[in-house]
Amino acid sequence: MKVGFTVNGEAVSMEVEPRTTLADALREGLGLTGTHLGCEQGVCGACTILLDGRPIRACLMFAVQASGCSVTTVEGMAAEDGTLHPLQRAFCDQHGLQCGFCTPGMLMSALHLLHRETSPTRRRIREELSGNICRCTGYASIVDAVQAAAEEMAAGMDDAAPTEVTGGTT
Amino acid sequence: MTISTLPGDTPEEGGAVGTTVRRKEDGRLVTGHGRYVSDLRLPGMRQVAFLRSPYGHARLRRIDASAARTADGVDGVFTGDSAEIAAVGLRALSALPSYIETEQPVLARAKVRFAGEAVAAVVAGDRYQAEDAIELIDVDYEPLPATVCAWAEPEVPVHDEAPDNVLLQRTFEAGDVPETMAGAYLVLERELVTNRHAGNPMECRAGVALWDYADNRLTFWSGTQVPHLARNMLAELVGLPEGNVRVIAPDVGGGFGTKAVLYPEDVALCLMARAMRGVPLKWVEDRSEHLLAATHARDHRYLMRAGFAEDGRLLALEADVTCNVGAYSVYPWTAGIEPLMAGGLLTGPYRLGHYRCTVRGVATNTSPSGPYRGVARPASVFAMETVLDEAAHELGMDAVDIRRRNLITVGDVPYRMPTRLIDESGRYGECLDKVLDSIGYDGFRAEQARRREAGENPIGVGFACYNELTGLGRAAAAGPRMAFRTGHDACTVRINPDGRVTVLSGVTSQGQGLETTIAQVVADAVGVAYDDVDVRIGDTTESLWGFGAFSSRQAVIGGGAAHRAGEAVRGRVLALAAALFEVEEAKLKLEAGRVHIIGVRDELATLAELARVAYLESNRLPDGFEPGLEATRFYDPIRGAFAAGVQAAIVEVDRATGEMAILRWACVEDTGRVINPQIVHGQVAGAIVQGIGGALYEHLVYDEAGNLTTGTLMDYLMPTSAEIPELDIGHIEVPADNPLGVRGVGEGGTLGPNAVLAGAVADALGVRISRLPITPAVVWEAVQ
Ligand code: FES
Ligand code: FES
Repeated sequence: MKVGFTVNGEAVSMEVEPRTTLADALREGLGLTGTHLGCEQGVCGACTILLDGRPIRACLMFAVQASGCSVTTVEGMAAEDGTLHPLQRAFCDQHGLQCGFCTPGMLMSALHLLHRETSPTRRRIREELSGNICRCTGYASIVDAVQAAAEEMAAGMDDAAPTEVTGGTT
Repeated sequence: MTISTLPGDTPEEGGAVGTTVRRKEDGRLVTGHGRYVSDLRLPGMRQVAFLRSPYGHARLRRIDASAARTADGVDGVFTGDSAEIAAVGLRALSALPSYIETEQPVLARAKVRFAGEAVAAVVAGDRYQAEDAIELIDVDYEPLPATVCAWAEPEVPVHDEAPDNVLLQRTFEAGDVPETMAGAYLVLERELVTNRHAGNPMECRAGVALWDYADNRLTFWSGTQVPHLARNMLAELVGLPEGNVRVIAPDVGGGFGTKAVLYPEDVALCLMARAMRGVPLKWVEDRSEHLLAATHARDHRYLMRAGFAEDGRLLALEADVTCNVGAYSVYPWTAGIEPLMAGGLLTGPYRLGHYRCTVRGVATNTSPSGPYRGVARPASVFAMETVLDEAAHELGMDAVDIRRRNLITVGDVPYRMPTRLIDESGRYGECLDKVLDSIGYDGFRAEQARRREAGENPIGVGFACYNELTGLGRAAAAGPRMAFRTGHDACTVRINPDGRVTVLSGVTSQGQGLETTIAQVVADAVGVAYDDVDVRIGDTTESLWGFGAFSSRQAVIGGGAAHRAGEAVRGRVLALAAALFEVEEAKLKLEAGRVHIIGVRDELATLAELARVAYLESNRLPDGFEPGLEATRFYDPIRGAFAAGVQAAIVEVDRATGEMAILRWACVEDTGRVINPQIVHGQVAGAIVQGIGGALYEHLVYDEAGNLTTGTLMDYLMPTSAEIPELDIGHIEVPADNPLGVRGVGEGGTLGPNAVLAGAVADALGVRISRLPITPAVVWEAVQ
């Protein structure tokens, strides 16, 4: 079947089977491999994306169900010119990631939180991110990152000029 | 005790080591552009799915795959009897006299030995088609009685070669236990059982195998922690020259030991690729498969008998340790990996002269046990600390005092443990002091008593003192006399013609940030800026050699090799500069990419200028100077570096529900010299949280027929941000005896939580905790 939706602001249309999950459509169909699959059971949160602004598990949804919707994935977080979103930068600064496998899902859940609340407490952040499992960090550094990003976003963007992250090397 | 260096701090005079530089990995990982095996796409690639046994133990009477072979999109179906597959078996080797060698088939043959064992594989156009076809395979199983408990008599042995299921047994012995025990003031006997759980990295296993159509070459992309070992083993198993096998571990989504194993599925992929030359075959494991068939760990029983003097001194310890090693002797580490570690380090950081410990690895119809962060010691530390807590209780001593009485001190080191390992750390007392301070132990007992009197929810404190043996060199290498001996790693440091540095390191990373730490080490060793160093890891065609990520070894060993190679290249640069400028070499130094005469501000030349000469201007090369600027060095620390560690926590228990809240958690470890404070902190924090998961939530449970009843993440509970407390992590930095002075920090954190939490609950409620995990139900029952 044909399905059409917007991904990170761009309209896409693709041919999928009715049973193709949204996660597989993004990863295999569109090559957007930033959305990760950690369980395909709806538990780990690695596949979290925003659908019309709300976080959903892309592994639990069929691609056809996203028809006409607007999808945001981790690939759509940074600005056009590559400037990182404050959350992405804060994850780097605070060592909010190790292997990075849970990170796209964490970023999506955190983004959704910061869209709704400008200065969540640590406890709130912990609650909101409890649908995303991280096996590496022990979480405190992720909470640090979300807090730091919230502060920066609340303080206004101007005096927090984005910095480049040293790129990958291998 | 938090980290004072700010992220992104520019390295000062002292250089990059010791500072929190920006991780080189993060740019791609936070933008969704990581390169995990599961992301890899190659032209013409096909997908693989495995059919797995639904029985824990059964004879395989017949497999009919004819319907699958003609199903939509299917390119091939393989079973254990397929000629390509049947030719190869995995035999983990050990020269230990008691070791019984057994074989693990690539796909099950004749019988299945655990639920989840791969029985057949389908290659198809996509994963959906492959899974459809899997369902069309008809297997006739004849169920056999399964054994899931390692300390129960087997009805039908797992392997015919081992009728009692015992694959290995060894006794460690020092001093005279019977006589000392007879003279002890107090003799305690306890049975302690730990829970089977697993590393469970967020990225499951994944592999892509490509056998070139025309050239006899195999490329295997894999989330492996041990690419060079994997290359070596694969070459031997598939019969290719080692130079024709390339293993690539790109970004890996966590490993924790689970991926330090060469699995039958890995070998199956490569063998199927040989049968389908030119076609890349990809397998991405799903979580259900992972819980069923990736390695498990920590399913142990400790029978402890400990003799104490009246003043709390531990005089003698006798132990009998049984480890459930699962259905196969894990390749290549063998069934000895957990039992031998348990027996070798059971006595922990305590002085002890009289020790007798028999350990055994027993096969059962469960997924094979393998290395998992901390290997056996989260369990053995729990056993040891529990015994100390109870002795303190019996002797009317404080839990802290009995530990102080027995801990190895700075005055004792180098201390020869009863298993002949040499502990050279000795800073346990210092770690303990800091931990007590951090949890506020001074006021704790008064508050505990007050709550008791007021009838409020009780609180308790628990402790764990442990020694993590890290960076094992050839003389200390753990393991059951395997066919290989770990100890060294290699590193190549190359200054490119433009003066920037490329490092080809034998280390691997599954999140530990090795691209970053190796770059820090090399930047300082050569004398260039951190940003001018690029590190390539995980590809066996690029780096010369590395054993991989296990035993908290890479900072010590891979770091040591990087340091040595960096220094050697710096020497070449200085020699070149000395000859070109006719200055004595000893008067020169290389700093921030510039060569100076010591004490002179202006540079003689930049590294870029010198590199240009070395590669491109042969007319300027001094006589006899070999072109190029590169060096390769190995490093082997020979022994290991012990890392002292202490953790403690205060918990509050709800008597009515059995629920527990962690109020304080502190950990102090001797990390040696720290290369990157933020990364070290992250390693310790992550390890503690995995330990907490194992102590409180994570449990792989089999029913009597050998079915895994915790086969999804809804049944196998992993800790989330909501359960995990804030941790107070500190360290002391006593340089170890290696080029960088570092100690491994990857695993130590996992060693404490079992003991800490069991001790804390016992202290709060005055009960005994003899089994893990400590679920609310366990606590509630203990209270009744
Ligand atoms: S992959 Fe979707 S929740 Fe785990
Ligand atoms: S960073 Fe590895 S799972 Fe979160």
